Amino acid sequence: MNPVASAFVLLGAATMVLAGVGLLRFRSPYARFHAAGKASPVAFLLVALGAAIELGGPAAARLAVAAAALVVTLPVGVHQLFRAVHRSRPRTLRTDELADARRRAEPG
Amino acid sequence: MIVALADAAFIVTGVCALVRLVRGPTLADRVVALDVALISLMAGITVGAADAGDSVVLNLPVVIAIIGFTATVAASRFIERERREESQP
Repeated sequence: MNPVASAFVLLGAATMVLAGVGLLRFRSPYARFHAAGKASPVAFLLVALGAAIELGGPAAARLAVAAAALVVTLPVGVHQLFRAVHRSRPRTLRTDELADARRRAEPG
Repeated sequence: MIVALADAAFIVTGVCALVRLVRGPTLADRVVALDVALISLMAGITVGAADAGDSVVLNLPVVIAIIGFTATVAASRFIERERREESQP
C-alpha cells in the first residue's frame, strides 16, 4: 500500500483499539458510551480515508457513502442509548442536571 | 504487514467488545458493544478491500452501518419502554 494510505489506516486502527479498550475498561455506562460512540466513527473515518487514497475513484465514492451513513446515524443511536440509560438508572449520578426536565416530562 | 497489523487491531477491538457484550451489566452496554464490533468489522472489510484493490465489497460497510443504526434505535426504544412498564403498578 501507498505510505500515506498506510499511515491513515494504522492511525484508524490505533483509534479503534482505543475505542475497544475504553469500552472495556471504563466504569460507568456513560463513560463507556463516550469511548465507543466517539472514537469508533473517527477510527472508521481514518481507515476509510486511507482506503480511499489507496483505491481512488468510484471506491472513494462508496467509502464516502459508508462514512456518511456512519457519521450521521451513530451519534443518533448512541444518544438514544444515553437517554434510555438516563431514564432507567437515574440514581447512579452524583449530580443530575436533567432531573427537573425528567420530572416535568413524566409526572408521577 | 500493515494490513496484518490493522486487522490485529480490529480483532483486539472486536474481542474487547465481545467481553463487554458478555459482561453487560446493562442492556445498553451490550448494544453499544455490538455497535463497536460492527464498526470494527466495517473497518476490517474496508482495509481488506484496499489491500485486494477490490471495490465491490465496499457496499457492505454501507449496509452494516444502516442495519446497526436500526438495531441500536430499536433496542433503545425497547429499553425505555421496558422501564416504563416496570414502573407502572
